This record gives sequence, structure tokens and C-alpha cells, in this order.
Amino acid sequence: MNAESDAAAGTTGAPALLDSVLHAVRVGMIVLDDSERVVLWNRWMEEHSSYPASSVLGKPFVELFPELTNGRAHGAIRGALQSKLASLISQTLNKAPFPLYARAEDRAAGVRIQQAVQVVPLDQPGKAHCLVQITDVSMAVAREKQLRELAMELQGQIFIDGLTGIPNRRRFDEHVENEFRRAKRSGSPLSLAMIDVDAFKDYNDNYGHQKGDDCLILIAAALTRILGRPCDLVARYGGEEFVALMPDTNADGAQALAEAMRHEVESLAIEHAHSGVAPHVTISLGLLTQTPSHNTVISHMIGAADRALYQAKRNGRNCVVVHGDKAPA
Amino acid sequence: MFQLNELQHDALVELFNQGVGQAASSMSQIVREEVTMSVPLISFQSRAEVARTLGSAEARRICAVTQHYQGAFNTEAILMFPEEKSLEIVRLMVGQSVTMEELSEMEQEAMSEIGNIILNSCMSTLANISGKELHGSLPIYRIGTGDHILGSSGNQWNGLVLTLKIDFNIEKHEINGYVAFLLDMSALNELQAYLDQYLSGLTP
Repeated sequence: MNAESDAAAGTTGAPALLDSVLHAVRVGMIVLDDSERVVLWNRWMEEHSSYPASSVLGKPFVELFPELTNGRAHGAIRGALQSKLASLISQTLNKAPFPLYARAEDRAAGVRIQQAVQVVPLDQPGKAHCLVQITDVSMAVAREKQLRELAMELQGQIFIDGLTGIPNRRRFDEHVENEFRRAKRSGSPLSLAMIDVDAFKDYNDNYGHQKGDDCLILIAAALTRILGRPCDLVARYGGEEFVALMPDTNADGAQALAEAMRHEVESLAIEHAHSGVAPHVTISLGLLTQTPSHNTVISHMIGAADRALYQAKRNGRNCVVVHGDKAPA
Repeated sequence: MFQLNELQHDALVELFNQGVGQAASSMSQIVREEVTMSVPLISFQSRAEVARTLGSAEARRICAVTQHYQGAFNTEAILMFPEEKSLEIVRLMVGQSVTMEELSEMEQEAMSEIGNIILNSCMSTLANISGKELHGSLPIYRIGTGDHILGSSGNQWNGLVLTLKIDFNIEKHEINGYVAFLLDMSALNELQAYLDQYLSGLTP
């Protein structure tokens, strides 16, 4: 109480000083009286609203800002005038409520200042008044946006294979878990293909690791071209092994896609004089289609697809083997 | 130990439900989605008991928004959520899903606004029945254990904490939090008197 009366005593001594402080401060300040009419409008408000104080003094708040009628800021003003409650209006939850602009070109483009608004009742004898303070938080918002984008990028990189640019094993493990649960709930078939590059060790030994890397990049892109639906996923499983997940895909559909992948890689026509299968690079695929039930386990599905892949290798490579199919006589 | 009779207790629960109902509709307006809130129970406890409920013994981190009120009666009002729940609420309200471990500066401000809306709504229903003015301060965001936030260790204090459990629903997510009012004996007596005044106004 003492501090307040001291301050009041100070103002009567130097109203001109207080006035110049109000106008120098880099915060928007509006004071409203109990009928929501403007009684103070500082220089910051003049500069950013383009209304001189002389044109707004005595005008009701809703006449100046018709778009804010009964909105959050207006409610806060009523709360301060009628119930003496202070309110905070955050930029995050209320995108720039006041039409205030940093520069003329921003005004032309309709880009408002990002605002944090505080509405507080003023402790005045007699009529109720409230102070609306508007702070420019554009810098903080921009900084956080940058941080958030960086975080998103980093999060994305964790799930991408560094060499081929397609999803990695970690991404696959997460995706397969989700799709597996979804298939279980909806009772829809889930297809899985394990894919291995034929005689890749011989390719590396004869053409060098640089060429080997290029070969994997081309294959990853070829496989991804075939599986284009948003829920499909081709990932690098490790070394020269890839995995393809095809949700809502029955055995026939999966076999057609697997054949298409095999064909797509063959038609890349990457020379491989030491393959023993063909004069170019080929892949083998082990395929499994299952509608998961309560006691199905993901690792068993992956194991079954792996066994089918092994069978494809034994069947002479460059082919698709479906789990459960009999080996050729 | 201070106690409300059954009528007073029910009236208070009813008033707080009106308060958080108003807060929910303000919040729905902000996010343009349905937000509902209710107060299933209230209780009077010591600060140490409330801190224990909030997991102080396990050093559980609580996110709090505090405001001071004076006038009709004096109280420190605190909205509290376990830290991970506050992340969930803010992100549901803001509609962003990047998971950083702590609230950013702007998100803390959003949390302060959420607290501000809830606390002001609760207090204004109480101000209404008292027929007196209730001055509220701006919200302050704090993080710490329940003990730390309620200031229960250290200084002697003969008051009680009025705690409301709050069920907060947004986008099919249900999140529980607490609002605590620190009330000293005179504030408790004033509150009780306002409730009696309110109840006598209800009977013709």
C-alpha cells in the first residue's frame, strides 16, 4: 500500500516524466475505463496500429476492434473490469488477436505481430479501469519454430538409412509393430517380403565397395518405386537385405508385387559378370501373407518369410518363394 | 479440524463444477474443439498430505500454475498436473506433436493461460456468491515436486489446502489434474460463511 501511495505521490510531482515513460516503453499499452472506453493509448500502440491516440480516445474497445467482440481478449477485459481478475492471453493459443503490424509491408501482406497479451485490473479509487499490455513475441516464436524444425529433422534422420535414403531397420521395427496391431484388430491380411541381393559378396569383391554402395542405392530406389502406397514400407534390413511390408494385401496381391519388384531390379540391368545367376544383378524374395490372430507373433512372421527367402536361394535365386509352398521337385 | 457440513460440501462441488464448465467452454472456443471438465471430488487436507498425493516422496515433477487472490478471501490458487500430463494437454490444445521433453517457453505461456482460465473461472463463481470483489494476480508457471510447489516443508502454517480433482477431456483424451487453494483459518471461515449465505439464498 505504501509503495503505491509513494508512486502516486511521485506521479503528481512529475506527470510529464511519467507520460514520456509511457510513450518510450516498447510495449503496447491500452487503458480502458469501466465502460470499455479507451483512456490511454501509448506511442507503441500508435506506431503499430496506425491509429493516433487522438482518434481512439473515448472510443469503445469493440468499436476499435470489432473482430474481437466477445472473444478471449474481450472476455479478459470484462473479467478485469467487473471481477478484478487478471488474464494472460498467450500467443500459442491465440494467434495474434490484435491487428498490429511491425512494418508497412507487413500490414500490406496481413502479417501481424506475434503477441503475448496481459490484461490486469488497475487499483484505482472510484471507477474500475484495466490495463491491456501487448508484448511483441515474434522473435521468440521464430526461434522456437526453428528449434522445432530442427528437432523434426533430427527425428526423421533417426529412421532413415544413411546410405540408401530409405527407412532403416529401426523405422521398420516401429512400423511393423503398428501395422501388425492394426491387422490384428481389423482382421485384414498382412504381407511381408524379405529380399536379398543375389551374390552380392561376389559383386563387391569384383567391382569394389564403391560400386557395391551404388548398386544398393539403385535397388532401394527400384523397390520403393513398386511399393507406392502410403502404408507400404520398404526398409533396408541390414547389409544387402531389404524388407517390404504390405498391409491389407492378400497372397495374390503380394505375389504380384513381389514379382514386380524382382522384375524392376532385373530391368535396372546392372552388370554382374560373377553372379552365377544372370549377367546382371538380381534379387531373391521370401514372401509371407498372414491374417494375424491373437497368438501370432511378429518375430515368427519374419522368421517364416526368412525361411521362404532361404528356399528361394536354394531354388536357384532370382525368384519369389511363398512361405508354405512346396519346393519344386 | 475444519469441516464443511454435507450441504456446504455439495454446494461447493456444484459451484466448482459451474466454474470449470465455464473454463471448458472458454477453452473450446480457443481450440475450436470440444473440451469438457468436471470436478468429481473435493477435499480438505494438510499441505504435506497433498504433496504426498502428488508423489513428492518419489520426487515426481509437477507442473504448476499459481495465482494469488485477495478480497472476498485471500488464497494462493494452484493448478497442478504431473509434468508429462502438462505436455499432453498443451500439445492437444496447440495441436503439435513434436515430443520434446520439456515445455518450451511459448508452451509454458500457453500452460499459464490454461491455468489462468481454470483458476479465474473457479474463483469468479466464489466471488459471485460472496458478493465481494476478488483481485487476481497474473499466473506464474512453476515446476518442481509437490512439496516444493506447496511450500509444505519449513514454515509453520495453520491453514488447510482445499483440493479439487479435475477431469479434463479433449479429443477423447482424459487427463487428471488438481487445483489447490491454500486457505488459512480466516479464509476457511469466510468461505464457509459465503456458502451459508448462498445456501440460505436458495431456500425460498
